[in-house]
Amino acid sequence: MTPLPFDPSASGPLLAGAVVATVASLWLLLPNGRDTRSARWLGTLLGLAALAAFILAGRRLGGLGEEAVFLIVSLVAVVSAAATIVSRSPVYAAIWFALTLAGVAGVLLVLGAQFLGVATIVVYAGAILVMFLFVLMLAQPAGLAPYDRVSNEPFLSALAGAVLLGVLSLSIGRLSAAPAACCGVPSRATATPTTGTPPSSTVDGEPTAAPVADALATATDPLAENHVARLGGELFGRHLVAVEAAGVLLLVALIGAIAVVSRGEAALAGEAIASRPAADRSSAR
Amino acid sequence: MNTMQSLPLLQNALTVGAILFSLGLVGILTRRNLIVMFLAAEMMLQGISVSLVAWSRYHGDWGGHVLVIFVLTVAACEAAVALVFVLQAFSRTGRLDSAAWQSLREATVGRTVDHELPSIDTVPPRFPTLTPAGILPAADENEPLQREHV
Amino acid sequence: MQEFSPSTLLALVPLLPLAGAILTVLLGRQLGAKAHLPAIAGIAGAAAVAVMLLVATARDVAPADGVHAEPVRPVEMIATLWNWATFDSAYAPPPGSPAADTRLSPQELAAGKDARAFSIPVALRLDPLTATMLTIITCVGLLVAIYSTGYMHDDPGYPRFFALVAMFVFSMSMLVAASNFLLVYVFWEAVGACSYLLIGFWFTKPEAARAAKKAFLVNRIGDFGLAIAVFLLWMTYGTLDFHDTISSDGVIMPGILGQTRLADAAGYVGGVLGTAICLLLLLAACGKSAQLPLHVWLPDAMEGPTPASALIHAATMVTAGIYLITRSAPLFAACPGALTVVSIVGATTALVAALIGTVQNDLKRVLAYSTISQLGYMFASLGTGTMLGFTAAIFHLLTHACFKALLFLGAGSVMHAMGGVIDMRRFGGLRRVMPITAATFLVGAAALAGVAPFAGFFSKDEILAALHAKAWPAAHGDHHASATAGEAFHLASFASDSAQSAGVAVGLDALDRPETWQILFWMSLITAGLTAFYTFRAVFMTFTGPTRVPEGAHGHGHSHDAGHADHGHDSHHGHDGHLADSYESPWAMTLPLVILAVPSALIGWLLFSTNWLAHFLSATPSLTAPAVAATATPHAFHMNLAIQGTLAAAIGIVVAAIGHLGQRSDGPQLERFLGPLQTLFSNTFYFDQIYSALVVRPLEGLALVAALFDRYVIDGTVDAIAGIPVALGGIVRRSQSGLLQRYALAGVMGVLAIVVLLAWQLRG
Repeated sequence: MTPLPFDPSASGPLLAGAVVATVASLWLLLPNGRDTRSARWLGTLLGLAALAAFILAGRRLGGLGEEAVFLIVSLVAVVSAAATIVSRSPVYAAIWFALTLAGVAGVLLVLGAQFLGVATIVVYAGAILVMFLFVLMLAQPAGLAPYDRVSNEPFLSALAGAVLLGVLSLSIGRLSAAPAACCGVPSRATATPTTGTPPSSTVDGEPTAAPVADALATATDPLAENHVARLGGELFGRHLVAVEAAGVLLLVALIGAIAVVSRGEAALAGEAIASRPAADRSSAR
Repeated sequence: MNTMQSLPLLQNALTVGAILFSLGLVGILTRRNLIVMFLAAEMMLQGISVSLVAWSRYHGDWGGHVLVIFVLTVAACEAAVALVFVLQAFSRTGRLDSAAWQSLREATVGRTVDHELPSIDTVPPRFPTLTPAGILPAADENEPLQREHV
Repeated sequence: MQEFSPSTLLALVPLLPLAGAILTVLLGRQLGAKAHLPAIAGIAGAAAVAVMLLVATARDVAPADGVHAEPVRPVEMIATLWNWATFDSAYAPPPGSPAADTRLSPQELAAGKDARAFSIPVALRLDPLTATMLTIITCVGLLVAIYSTGYMHDDPGYPRFFALVAMFVFSMSMLVAASNFLLVYVFWEAVGACSYLLIGFWFTKPEAARAAKKAFLVNRIGDFGLAIAVFLLWMTYGTLDFHDTISSDGVIMPGILGQTRLADAAGYVGGVLGTAICLLLLLAACGKSAQLPLHVWLPDAMEGPTPASALIHAATMVTAGIYLITRSAPLFAACPGALTVVSIVGATTALVAALIGTVQNDLKRVLAYSTISQLGYMFASLGTGTMLGFTAAIFHLLTHACFKALLFLGAGSVMHAMGGVIDMRRFGGLRRVMPITAATFLVGAAALAGVAPFAGFFSKDEILAALHAKAWPAAHGDHHASATAGEAFHLASFASDSAQSAGVAVGLDALDRPETWQILFWMSLITAGLTAFYTFRAVFMTFTGPTRVPEGAHGHGHSHDAGHADHGHDSHHGHDGHLADSYESPWAMTLPLVILAVPSALIGWLLFSTNWLAHFLSATPSLTAPAVAATATPHAFHMNLAIQGTLAAAIGIVVAAIGHLGQRSDGPQLERFLGPLQTLFSNTFYFDQIYSALVVRPLEGLALVAALFDRYVIDGTVDAIAGIPVALGGIVRRSQSGLLQRYALAGVMGVLAIVVLLAWQLRG
């Protein structure tokens, strides 16, 4: 039906190169015992090269969508994500993660998910990240702990992540608008003609079907107006039981956390009384 | 909705989600600090959220949005409970090191111990010096009020 | 008892001791000191029935009429108990073999039309030979069992002993009553097993266990010969039955020793095949009857209890070989070379064993070698192939059973009284303190030595007569005609299978010359002298001279200590000055001695003067074969042979008297005059050492190789195979480091592998 806008064979080597560059850069950047500035520079360069290769492969995979804004926010998200995982100091990693969240929120907003973009900032950056920072303040020793300066199997992990990324990119690149030959499940998007022109009333039966389908599609389209209201309607309409269950889950998690903490404290108190000379246990707090 | 134009958008968004997911995966497998591990897990969830919303936009329905909301909820619960356990682990071993817990190993395998790491170029801590009693201690404006390394 | 049919009575003879054995096994522990009752009851019942059967069979034998006997009508009764196994169409005899059905043409035979079934009936037979053997076995068995109640009185294995004795009597009775070669083989093995169990009765003693093993293994060599012989017999004759059987369609199947085949002049195969069968049967007989070269087990078998030695290694089991050859007389008659070999083996064994016996100091060993020697006499007599030879052998078997059992039981009595000591140099002059034992032992010794008119004199005389007749045929002038007739029968059976008479058979037959028999005769005569010598040497050393007893001897009689009030078995630590009044054994042991002394003294003269036994045995089907029956000679007393025999015995006794009569038994021995020969004799001609070097050592080496192969190659391979998972596990185990991130990494890599594989499959 639709001529595929890309040539799978041409983007193959580009993706492969991107994958290799990702592996090398991650391996160099991840914390290990010997950290030299040259290694870090080289890793950064390779990472940027990998990113460029991904972008180029994406370009060949067809268009850039809402080009500029999307590119900027996605770059922010990706670079911050990489920085999160290679930072040696966990506090820096948390800060970089906050920036990643900002980028992700931007991507979500570009995709038209108004509520979710804001919810990401509020819940993640506002609540979860702050909790992490609290724990870090409680538990992180001064300076860089030895376990922050080493990684666990950096090469194999980088290889696994990069290969996964390559396979995913390949699969993404081979998405097509035609329904899959095996399954025959039409996407709702194919209900409208592919050329983009409004439906012409050729037959009597069709014009009546098209506006109805169009109205139906518009009603559920996230991009239409009253986004949040309709999202709420959807949630509390079709997914009421799940919402209630999520509420119960939150309550249970809250109670459980308090229970575990209080029992743990009681046990610790008992241990402290039982073994006074073992002072290193409670000295860390 | 213009499927011809939204397919590239979908693909790009999915690529971003894939990158976030992969980076998060590498972070979990690699970093030894428990908090950074959880940060990476949250990053994986972010990637998933982006992918779900992209699909939702492509198909033009609410399914992905709803699922992302629930993912958010569960992530919050998970973070709370996980941090409780992190604190419990910390109180037992005194550090936030995932390699501190090796009891699952085989009896014949020895404990994995870190190699000696070269010293880092940190600023040696400067401890305050006590002035003799009765003398007002000299104030140093250049002395930073907060510690420089975290 | 009139309502019992003869076949029922015949079946009772083995079954009563079997029931006794089973009851002893089941109830032995409860019965305790009375554990001998079931066994003795069973054997006594069997003995009574055997005597009844003997009388009944004797009535059936036609009475003798005059000097030249016509061929006696064979007497036999077959009782088939049940059919053990049947294999249909098992065998199609080749054309021309004695088993072939002559009614069919050669083409039909080649086509296999004659395929017949192979069946093994459990059939018992009753004929004069069997009746005689059964009487000997059960009566001697009964006396030995009664004796054992005294001898084994304090032994913890008391019930086990009687169970074994009863089991042995059952097995031996079945052996001589079986009418099928396969059954004979089965019970041949059974008596070997009973012998093993009895020799190794005190199995905690290493020498006894070793001796039992040696006996069984040497017997096994003989059993191998018997097995091959059975195979060859079946292939040649198409059946294993002794008797004729009638198949379902009325056809008579001739048994190997059945009357149909016996009457057939060409019924038996000669030549190479026949000689092979006969030599294999001889091998089996050598194993069981302890002839050269398989005699090495009998002296060691003296480790067993003395009653067991008396029963099975003197009177009954070792006579199984004699029985087998006598039963197979028609087979041997077709192969004169084999017969000569039998005699050579027998005479050589007799001489060698007698020489060894002259230097033994252990009383039981003297008697053991004496047994070997006397069995050699019987074989020598069998090998003459004449009616006189066969009947003389059985006659000697009968008298030998009586006096050898007597001698062994007497030795047991001495051993029991001397507290387990049997070395003759440690005691002496016992006639004063063990009068009954001494008197009966003297009777037995005289019988053994061949002193007239005791039993052994007559039987030995008959054997010498048989040998003499073969050595100097012209001297037995008026028997020449029958001898030629006998030879004619030999030649007739020879000619029937001219295709097979070649090679070895002709070579062996060349031995059958008068010169050979003359040498054998002189060997036997010398052996007679040696027999008398060593027998009376033993008698003089044990019972004459100053009275000495070793420490620990069981004496009774309160000579100077009236305080002990036990049953009369005080343990006097006897130095010479502290002799008890009497060391005689209890009546349970001396009564059988007295009972056995009677036939040892009288039975020889009785049976010889009436010629009853020879006539009775000539009605045995095997001995009615024309080849054997034609050699029958009228009964005569050969005065010159009697003189020669008595002279030899007298010389032996005189030399023994010079050396040992009245002397201390541990004084200087006569054999110091032998010089180096004494070493040779006392080391039993180094047979054990030769066997050890030729057979035992290589086998041990082979066993060592096999053991090493098993341990290092087979076990090594298995261990290596078993070690592979362990090694693999050790390698894989190192990945279980306890670090969760590594586990997660492994999981991720696995998932990645699957994803990549799927993507690869789904590409394009």
